[in-house]
Amino acid sequence: MYLGVDIGSSSSKVALLSGEKKLLSTKVVNLGTGTKGVQTALDELRAEVGIPAEQILYTVATGYGRLLYKGADKQLTEITCHAKGISYLMSHVRTIVDIGGQDSKVIRIDDSGKVVNFAMNEKCAAGTGRFLEVMARVLGCKIEELSELAAQSTQDVAISSVCTVFAESEVISQLSQGAHPNDVACGALRAVAKRVAGLCSRVGVVEQIAMSGGVALNSAMVDILAAELGYPVTPAPNAQAAGAVGAAVLARELYEKGMRQQA
Amino acid sequence: MENALTSKQLLAKLQAEHYAGAMQAKKEGKLVAWATSICPQELLETLDIDVVYPENHAAAVGARKDAPQFIAQAEGKGYSTDICSYARVSMGYVDIQHSEAENIPLPDLVFCCSNICNTALKWYENLAKTLHIPLVMFDMPFNHTFDIPAHSIRYMRGQIESAITQLEEITKKKFDYDKFGEVMKISTETALWWRRATDLGIHTPSPLNGFDMFNYMAMIVCARGKASTRDLFKLWHDEMAEKVKLGKGPWKEGEELYRIMWDGIACWPHLSVTYKTLKQYGINMVTSTYPESWTIVYEQNDLDGMARAYSANYANRNLDYGTGNVIKLVNDFDLDGIVYHSNRSCKLMDFRQYEVQRRIEEATGVPSVVFDGDQTDPRIFSQAQYETRIQALLEMMEKNRLAKQRGDWK
Amino acid sequence: MNSANAIIESLCEKAAHPARTVMESCKETGKAAVGCFPIYTPEELVYAAGFLPVGMWGGNTEIKLADRYLQGFCCSIMRTNIEFGMRGVYGKLKAVLLPTLCDTLKCVCENWKVAVPKVPLIPVVYPQNRTLPSGEVYLREELERIRTELSRISGEEMTQSHIEAAFALYENYRRAMRAFCEAASTHPKTINAKTRHLMIKAGYFLDKADYTLQISALTEYLNQLPEEPCAMRVVATGLLSEPVGLLDILAEHDIAIVADDLAQESRQFRTPARETGDAISRMVWRTADMRGCPFLFEPEKTRGEMLIDLVRAHRADAVIAFQMKFCDPEEFDYPIYKAELEEAGIPLLYLEVEQQMDSFNQSRTRIESLSEMLI
Repeated sequence: MYLGVDIGSSSSKVALLSGEKKLLSTKVVNLGTGTKGVQTALDELRAEVGIPAEQILYTVATGYGRLLYKGADKQLTEITCHAKGISYLMSHVRTIVDIGGQDSKVIRIDDSGKVVNFAMNEKCAAGTGRFLEVMARVLGCKIEELSELAAQSTQDVAISSVCTVFAESEVISQLSQGAHPNDVACGALRAVAKRVAGLCSRVGVVEQIAMSGGVALNSAMVDILAAELGYPVTPAPNAQAAGAVGAAVLARELYEKGMRQQA
Repeated sequence: MENALTSKQLLAKLQAEHYAGAMQAKKEGKLVAWATSICPQELLETLDIDVVYPENHAAAVGARKDAPQFIAQAEGKGYSTDICSYARVSMGYVDIQHSEAENIPLPDLVFCCSNICNTALKWYENLAKTLHIPLVMFDMPFNHTFDIPAHSIRYMRGQIESAITQLEEITKKKFDYDKFGEVMKISTETALWWRRATDLGIHTPSPLNGFDMFNYMAMIVCARGKASTRDLFKLWHDEMAEKVKLGKGPWKEGEELYRIMWDGIACWPHLSVTYKTLKQYGINMVTSTYPESWTIVYEQNDLDGMARAYSANYANRNLDYGTGNVIKLVNDFDLDGIVYHSNRSCKLMDFRQYEVQRRIEEATGVPSVVFDGDQTDPRIFSQAQYETRIQALLEMMEKNRLAKQRGDWK
Repeated sequence: MNSANAIIESLCEKAAHPARTVMESCKETGKAAVGCFPIYTPEELVYAAGFLPVGMWGGNTEIKLADRYLQGFCCSIMRTNIEFGMRGVYGKLKAVLLPTLCDTLKCVCENWKVAVPKVPLIPVVYPQNRTLPSGEVYLREELERIRTELSRISGEEMTQSHIEAAFALYENYRRAMRAFCEAASTHPKTINAKTRHLMIKAGYFLDKADYTLQISALTEYLNQLPEEPCAMRVVATGLLSEPVGLLDILAEHDIAIVADDLAQESRQFRTPARETGDAISRMVWRTADMRGCPFLFEPEKTRGEMLIDLVRAHRADAVIAFQMKFCDPEEFDYPIYKAELEEAGIPLLYLEVEQQMDSFNQSRTRIESLSEMLI
């Protein structure tokens, strides 16, 4: 069996793959690097699948905390692992849009899930989950609720500021002038979609397009991004665990490659 | 028929003709050039080349809120969000080639003068490379000394001569030096009427609403060498001179209570908000550094004079000159305050702003505020910030006025 | 090999401590230092005036004082230079030369006069129409003006033979640097990404006569060693391949810089001077002959072509763009050469850099992803 471990800043994910490349289980724990998150996730995994440690032939670690994880045979970036994971879960996908809490990425892949090109935005809050956090706070709702609000939007309310700080004051001003929270929520999602669409253009979009990362759980976000790109977008199932899944798939590839080289 | 039109109506007519003329010229297979705003247009006018000005076009696109699609197109190709938004709109327009706001034909040649900034050089390089067209470039060396050095003038004159040769090759026409002389004469006359008109802002109340000035400015950019532009500015001047006689201020309703200078270009996508916020407090923009920048005058047929005049604009001068310029405006126009537009797109203007602000404050005591904006990218502006800053300026101006009245002033 | 290591260690040390190195160089040579702003300055004239030309390519420091003059969206090299100037770090310089090659440099030129009044500034206004006869005449006159300025500051006449000697020395230096880069390209383990950069950077703080001897000796040693493999070969493009933390990541993954198109490196020495003429004419012509630089007007924009040639000539796997945030000229070139590299099928990694970067996690992800993509 092969283990993929994805240690992010705010959550830890693990995935277990069989020798026949079957996904046995995935676990997500909302504790990130520097916490007991990974250990908890592994314990949960073992409790469910009941495998002894020796049966794990190869472990790949990815994510922000990959460099500190001692149990890995190899560390690979979340770009490489997400690509592999999504490709495993959705074989027809060629472009992945990943909008995380702190950053956003667009990755183009080939039919084997190998990365062909990528672009990232990790400096600016606009176009990431952080922007939506700020918006949700102003609207007095949870970030997950933005989707429901946006789905009921009836009017276009544009949030034009590119700076999250300016956008906050822009939204407060719109609300005080009578804009409906549903419309503002929709505007917030559209602002993120526009930013991400810019990244997409730089990389070049090839169908089919999948969305992963925490923000993909937001169904309205998926629709709004599709409208912005002019292409259909499918949320990846088990999107949060995609990195760990990819890491596990790569663990198997690397182990088998190692075996072939020894032979 | 012409006499029946107000200058505002004539402005609209000439602008429409300018754009329509360029589209028609392209259709007929005539040469169309894109040029920078303060370039030696005399050369193009002499050779009868239709010219459009992408800066003007970007401003129009921005003002009518159509900039985002072009900016997104350019950024999608890798143009950084940090660079001049006129350039981003322009490079986006090269692909999309249509705007609800205004259309211009793609150019057959580009004509660039570096006196406004170095960014224009890079922008025009990219236009030439992307469209595979010739580029005529005037390099106006940066004047770090107060006066313009002699060897710079010789170099610029040499470039004018080279450009004429280059243009003759491109147009397959012989340069008509007699016509050139005529165009130089008209251009100077136009510049002088522009200056006389904008100078009427000296009166209290000013007959000139500065935001209007931004609109008329489009013509001094795009048709300086044409008699119709000269006549437009004369008409505008005469209308305002009438208003002065009658003691009329800038607006139909509302009195001019405070007089300011606006440093930098307008926030085109937010014209309404920036204008109305000032107007509601009776704050009128009576001048800016732009009238001087287009007062390009020289003796007829004096190529050295022409070179010097083009090199002399505000952006191409040193700090001492720039500061002196603004101090003169404060005094001549009896200003109460200054608004500095820290225009995200315009580093050449912005990175001297703080020092200019300090020197003006020290020399004249006039209060000022700085706000963050952008010339065409609507995303770089916060209405809340702008309103707060203008209110702060108002409070400072009110306080100064009271102090003056009490005799506490300097 | 020991001798090579000794030179490498010595130059690395010197490059890592610019202020100390400049002080030592001044002591050893008895010369006073004159600072040279990026991108190009007529260093030969500084040398001919009897001064030690030293580079001013910013550094990693907290910006506090410079905010008085410059907004935040300004190139970090310039902000740092103003900051250092205001803090007195450049206090020992007899003067600085500043080329007005971009809008930010023009403003810094003016701000310096107010912000750092104790260090005289000599602006160098290069012509952009550098291939026109009027441009060549102009540059000649501009260089003569600078010659006069430098002579005024040194208090001595700068003779023609001083200038010829300095120019010959600098041509030697440039030849030596080109040879070093070739040798480094085939020895990417001994001269890894970080070492290569520091070897070149050291030259900015030493007397070129002394430095050229050391770098030539190192090149000779390298050429006696067998060629070395490495995991990945890249061409670097941009202003400078700093902060050095990025190079550590490259070295860690055995990714070598086998050629560069960097303002701080090859762009300074890749264009040889014409063979004949007096020194000042040859300086003028060298400026006229330069290609592929975003700061020198070139409607043909051959930079993309040049990068493709460099990749092919040095069997590189990819290009890394070290994009200095807020550098307009570089930012305008990027979409053009990006499209050309894409068409040629050459992978391009875009790294946004600033001098004040302390955390490299995100850059690490990008670099590692590129490596994982290609290996």
